[in-house]
Amino acid sequence: MNNTSNDTPQRITLAEWEKRYAELRAAGLCEPAYGGPLRRHVDDGDRRLLKLRMDNSAASLRLWNFLLTEEERLHRYAAEGKRLVGTMKDLGTVPVMAYSLSNLVAFYPDGAWWLPCVMENGSGLLPLGDSVGIDDSFCPVRALLGAFLNRAHFPLPGLLTCSVGATCDDLSAIAQRLESLGFPILWWEIPHRRHPDPQEAAVELPGGFRAPADQVALVRSELERVQEALEAYAGQRLTDERLSAGIARANQVRRSLAALRQLVFTAKACPLPALEMLIAEMLAIHFCSDQNETIAVVAELLEEAGRRVQAGAGVLQRDAVRVFWVNPVADLRVMNLLEDVGGRACGTDYMFCHALDIIPENLPPLEALARIALADPMVGSAVDRAQRICTDVRRFGAEAVVVSRIPGASHCAMEAPLIGDVVRAQSDVPVLEIEVPPISDAMEPTLRTRLEALVETVKEHRVRGSGFRVRGSGFRV
Amino acid sequence: MNTIAYSSPFVPVEWIVAHGLRPHWLRLRAAAGRPLVATARGVCPYAGALVDAALAGIEAAGVVLTTICDQMRYAAALLASRGSCPVFLLNVPSTWQTAAVRKLYLDELRRLGRFLVQLGGQSPGDADLAQVMLAYDRARLAVRAAREWLSARQFADALAELRGPAWGLSQFSPERKWDCPLPFPNERKWDCPLRSPNVPLAGGIALAILGGPLLEADYALFDLVEQAGGRVVLDATEGGERTLPAPFDPARIASPPLEELAHAYFDAIADAFRRPNDKLYEWLGRELATRQVRGIIFRRYVWCDLWHAELQRLKQWSPVPVLELDAGPDDTSAPNRMQGRVEAFLEMLLTPAQPVP
Repeated sequence: MNNTSNDTPQRITLAEWEKRYAELRAAGLCEPAYGGPLRRHVDDGDRRLLKLRMDNSAASLRLWNFLLTEEERLHRYAAEGKRLVGTMKDLGTVPVMAYSLSNLVAFYPDGAWWLPCVMENGSGLLPLGDSVGIDDSFCPVRALLGAFLNRAHFPLPGLLTCSVGATCDDLSAIAQRLESLGFPILWWEIPHRRHPDPQEAAVELPGGFRAPADQVALVRSELERVQEALEAYAGQRLTDERLSAGIARANQVRRSLAALRQLVFTAKACPLPALEMLIAEMLAIHFCSDQNETIAVVAELLEEAGRRVQAGAGVLQRDAVRVFWVNPVADLRVMNLLEDVGGRACGTDYMFCHALDIIPENLPPLEALARIALADPMVGSAVDRAQRICTDVRRFGAEAVVVSRIPGASHCAMEAPLIGDVVRAQSDVPVLEIEVPPISDAMEPTLRTRLEALVETVKEHRVRGSGFRVRGSGFRV
Repeated sequence: MNTIAYSSPFVPVEWIVAHGLRPHWLRLRAAAGRPLVATARGVCPYAGALVDAALAGIEAAGVVLTTICDQMRYAAALLASRGSCPVFLLNVPSTWQTAAVRKLYLDELRRLGRFLVQLGGQSPGDADLAQVMLAYDRARLAVRAAREWLSARQFADALAELRGPAWGLSQFSPERKWDCPLPFPNERKWDCPLRSPNVPLAGGIALAILGGPLLEADYALFDLVEQAGGRVVLDATEGGERTLPAPFDPARIASPPLEELAHAYFDAIADAFRRPNDKLYEWLGRELATRQVRGIIFRRYVWCDLWHAELQRLKQWSPVPVLELDAGPDDTSAPNRMQGRVEAFLEMLLTPAQPVP
């Protein structure tokens, strides 16, 4: 019903989307309540859309509209009497618990880190961060302070949680500053995941890492504290039955995303652009404040990608260089840039791989969530994270790795050399490090040059017939 | 005897000594020449100096780092991956409210003990550990009691000595009124002017210095303050008094001593990284009042988020003026800039407040 005569997959500008939207509507496009033309988000201040190239499918339209209406959704929930929980830092664990209770809605205040980009600094959030002493030497996640202070983006949550311990110093410091400004936080400990000693009881974690059983027990006890707080806030018991049902729903999202990633990253012609894939993966963290809708949005993307793969259609040149991307970009535009210079995303680690791993359903639910929390690639050694990256590089046949630094983020200072060491030891794929600020326009020539050099290097190796070999990979590049 | 290098106050020196190993409290020099990471963008100068020093070769059988800051966590991974010296990363929880995290710290000390045994140490009996703990406790008491007789720099150096080997700890006798030069465990004589014994130092505007760890060259700051007419009466940096463990409870030291050791360190040390970190302000409030501090020098590294984020809160909270001194990795103008700022700060403190018209 949504198909039109202009269904060739392509990345189009916002201006082109106006015509495309009319076409889709004319062809009978059915939209959810939050649907509509993308242009209206620019009128609301999301000016970065004017600089982006977006996928032209109805599924992507729904994805963008879903993403860009989250604030409205949160305000509506608050008005309806739902109770909001701000879940900072854990990236995918506490939200599963919160969504297991019928009257709670979890969201991710750290997500405000993209507002300076999306609103092209029109949000005023960063100056507000400056005003409370958190300047631009910090990660752009400092935007969350401004969002709490000006209350212009999300309603204030009645409960705030934050995982600390083996987490970024910047987020931990910013959250502490937030608390000192009068926003109480339930802190819970996530220890640095270490390798079990030889004689020590150990647990296999989702994603392949291992951890001492004692560490899992500790995290489980910390999640029990979170559980008590959620129950008190919701006025409901978070029983094992409810939590298991919540885990099953979360896994529904994760399974769909796993299928989508597998399909898109391994297809000969790239069926969905990197930008839409980044946003789709992000949905796993807190379901963009609507779990059921997330399931529907990802299902539609999967269907669209499947249709394109079947037709052998893609949004990029078929010889696009297959790049594994590490860390989310502060400026969404850079995902376009990768494709503009002849690359495509084939594998990602946006710092929340654990939010994509399937939560074990054959364990007591809190035990399962403790294991997922400890499976976070960022809470262990960067060498372990790099090992997982290598596994995925092989799995998706990536020909290069880009480590994208986040300005001011504590983990970015030393992680690239570590990741590079491991990747180079296990393959001969090139590793490139770049840094992406929230608005990268001034740096675009530099970023473009570096990415072009990477793409050209890989293509040169192809011409020579050697290609970059990835040990253990089933891919010939 | 093997040496164990460490740089975090959350590593109990008594535990290393009780294993029969020599503790080496790292006082790092800023990276010079062609450092590997110290001047890389975003790297904390202290963490970078540690990595560079360790990769260049620290004379130690092992290095113990902690998780109290993210960059040190990554430094541990880098050293484990690229270095030749065994690295132990001690997990120090950020939260402190629950028995579970206290137990984690205690378990980590036990795990550290196994690491020390692997490096040639011997697992101590309770009596041996208690004896070492009491020796250090007495020494800390003595050094604290001697604070008034020492210059700020001497006191800082004495605190550093307390994090070193046990031999010669008897020099730190509570009954002793110190004069200069002092015989210290390593037989080094103090490079300081002779003063009459038993006469407390007097004069100078009382200042506190607050922040993370200092590099070796940064200790010149203590002298600089004195030359400018001030005196650091409260060293609240990572190597200073702020991070000394609580005195051991004689009633609890026997049952078993490791638990009391964990309590004295984990429960007592106030730091910016703890969540929440209100105890840092409680401790600071008490000490500022007791020592009649008139100004705080807030010393932080560029890229140290944990301390940097406290600056404005500190300014709003502090009953006395706060001077910020930031330090970059390769800032050659730092000494002059630091001197100018400290002098101006002290001049401001000397000037009586003018009534508002």
